[in-house]
Amino acid sequence: MLEQILVNGLLASLIYVIMALGFTLIFGIMRIVNFAHGEFYMLGAMVVLFLFGALGWPFYLAVIAGGVVSALLGVVLERLLFRPLVGDELSGMIMSLAVGIILQSIALIAFGPAEQAMPRPFSGTWSLVGAAVPWDRTVVAICSLLILAVFYLFLKYSRLGLAMQAVAQDPQTASLMGIESGVVYAAAFGIACLLAGLAGGLMAPIYTVGPYMGELPMLKAFVVVILGGLGSLPGAVLGGLLIGLSESVLTTAFNSTAALIASFVIVLLVVITRPTGLLGRSTR
Amino acid sequence: MKPLHIFLAIVLLALVPWLLDSQYVFHIATMIAIMVPMALGMNLMLRIGQLTMAMPAFMGIGAYGSALLAIRLEVPPLLALPAGALMAGVLAAAVGPVFLRIKGVYFVLLTYAFGQIINLVFQEWTGLFGGNNGLYGIPKFSLFGLRLTATPQYYLMGLLLAALVYLAVRAIERSDIGAIFQSLNENEMLSRAIGSNAMAWRIAAFTFSALAAGLSGGLYAFYIGFLSPDAFGFRLSVDLIVINAVGGVHSALGPVLGAILMVPLPEMLRDARQYQLLIYGLSLMVFLIFIRKGLASLIQRPRSAA
Amino acid sequence: METLLDVKNLTRRFGGLTAVSDVSFSVAKGEIFGIIGPNGAGKTTLFNVIAGHFKPSSGSVHLAGQDISGHASDAIARRGMARTFQSVHVFSEHSTQENLRRAHVIGRSHNPLAYFARLARPCFGCTQLPLVAQFVGLTDHLQSPAGSLAYGLQKVLGIGMAMMVSPQLLLMDEPAAGLNPSEKKAAGVLIRRLRDELGITILLVEHDMPLVMGVCDRILVINRGKPIALGTPGEVKSDKSVIEAYLGEDYEFA
Repeated sequence: MLEQILVNGLLASLIYVIMALGFTLIFGIMRIVNFAHGEFYMLGAMVVLFLFGALGWPFYLAVIAGGVVSALLGVVLERLLFRPLVGDELSGMIMSLAVGIILQSIALIAFGPAEQAMPRPFSGTWSLVGAAVPWDRTVVAICSLLILAVFYLFLKYSRLGLAMQAVAQDPQTASLMGIESGVVYAAAFGIACLLAGLAGGLMAPIYTVGPYMGELPMLKAFVVVILGGLGSLPGAVLGGLLIGLSESVLTTAFNSTAALIASFVIVLLVVITRPTGLLGRSTR
Repeated sequence: MKPLHIFLAIVLLALVPWLLDSQYVFHIATMIAIMVPMALGMNLMLRIGQLTMAMPAFMGIGAYGSALLAIRLEVPPLLALPAGALMAGVLAAAVGPVFLRIKGVYFVLLTYAFGQIINLVFQEWTGLFGGNNGLYGIPKFSLFGLRLTATPQYYLMGLLLAALVYLAVRAIERSDIGAIFQSLNENEMLSRAIGSNAMAWRIAAFTFSALAAGLSGGLYAFYIGFLSPDAFGFRLSVDLIVINAVGGVHSALGPVLGAILMVPLPEMLRDARQYQLLIYGLSLMVFLIFIRKGLASLIQRPRSAA
Repeated sequence: METLLDVKNLTRRFGGLTAVSDVSFSVAKGEIFGIIGPNGAGKTTLFNVIAGHFKPSSGSVHLAGQDISGHASDAIARRGMARTFQSVHVFSEHSTQENLRRAHVIGRSHNPLAYFARLARPCFGCTQLPLVAQFVGLTDHLQSPAGSLAYGLQKVLGIGMAMMVSPQLLLMDEPAAGLNPSEKKAAGVLIRRLRDELGITILLVEHDMPLVMGVCDRILVINRGKPIALGTPGEVKSDKSVIEAYLGEDYEFA
């Protein structure tokens, strides 16, 4: 029983981490709370539904396409809508609300409100220390770990990654050193949307695909990021693990709504007592 | 357009339902009237520089509170409605001292989480609130023995409540309380150095906004006759933001105007929800783009005292 | 002489840095008391701890016998200790008159209960406004937007606003900062008059030596957070440790 709870929790937390990383990246670098993050997740899933489900593309290719489409849209929106609002936390947040609503309504108009199932690329389970692990979730987990690894390497070793870290820590000094903030903002937003899109694409066959599917993952990302610390990447990882595990425990003990309530209570407590979260730095 | 003209226009608009004598128009008008107190409450919070996402939660508490008092304890609706609102106010006064220590984005996120928790409780505690299936059987509102069954009657009630809250906010705006709120918003450090208990004033504003939302909720409960949690969710917060953004933040007329402009949309497009969402989103975006300074500085830059 | 402000063993640390270290002094009612020290000495931190912006790490502050250590700045203001700011803090988009009026309104209605309680009562302070304006010399500028006033006048308005709440003790944070020589002279005169004519006790933190030496009854000198001298201007001027502390700085002990 315990093993099942742990396995479920770990599997769930990996996707939360991916979502949270994107969410916290945008806040860390642009100080914008991206309420539209769930819609980029949904977009990735929609692309997979279309390319893999309808057109029969290979699954992994469809997922990558989903990520890319989300990323491209993100970059465009960032340049047009969000860049003028960098630093203005309230306006940026409200803009993201507007974007989210618009994207959701477009999805509603295009696909209708109904959720659609898609063919599953993987099925069956295997056994890990006595717990049943579904293959489809295993694939998600492995891909998530891969994505995490690539992201980590990018951040640590690529020029763009280092530039992003610099801007997150101190934008003024960064610009004095010749780092062009515009490129960094576009990259940050694009990568965040890439992550969300990949997550959505990976998760598309697990449940169903619909215009509202991004709401719950965004909520989870939100909770994880608050817990881990807005703007902190290690915080997103730590928060993701903690929330994934605690959720698994609570869902098994009670139900998923209770788990969600508990998550929000955690948010409440964190914001009241230690707004910067577990690993976040205090705001400038 | 001078404020007086807008005010007169609104008064005239308020009479339109009787001219058109359509049940449907009365319904939309009633929904507008129900929204107005909440939009005004949100506006007051914006005037002290706080964006609150707790309004749907307080509306829900007012709604479920009044409904349950009327259903379970057979409290006459005339008492149940204010009692429900009072419950919302008490909750606000209770959590206010803790919540209002937080400012800016974190306050928004805090009230967002709070709103979600309350909403989830409405969903989960099916024994009390009826859960996602809804709470049925709310009696009709009765006023000294006269049962209100027709929409125009509820519209009148709505107008009354809306007018009440509007006058209250207007009075606050024009009085020294308004000057104090402005001072706290413009320069809190200075205000406190002269002795202003900023916290107490913020709690007062928060409680007022909760009372207004509670009133909206109570009227909604008796009017619709049935409650479900998804009426009191995040969407409502977004609606309130759009209403205040579009109508204007600086005067009490703004939210009223915003409600008149934006509320008919979801009602008229009830079957085409996606278009309503689209229009809301676009309105918000247009507002954010063309009022270039952004909502936040709008909040922080009130008009000088007339 | 009755003690109005009593500071005992006040210490304030920020992480590893001790900004204020074991400072003790008391200010008698009706005194003009100055705190000086070289740059970075900790004067501003000391001021801010007394004014309620920081909690003391240890030690205490008593106002008229009541312990106000670590109390919020607005609570302290309500107990009769007002403060002015080093840089200008006024409601710049409103008229001078409105600024003064607001100061009175805010001080009178510090919370909603006080507001409603006072609604019915006649406003004694309402007649105060023109008198305060006259006292600080702003009568001719009452209708001008506060933000359009000269810097020196804005600082004076700050003093006027503090006066509107009838403080017992007025804390002044570098009243001469940003003023030209004639404005500084006027500031000195005003400070004296606040005490002589209105009986307000004054505690000021300042860099400008001529002002401090000319206006204060007693002066506390701190350096690197620690008190190094306390006495009359004459005593402090000739104190060896004070001169040493200021060596290398371009100060004229006027």
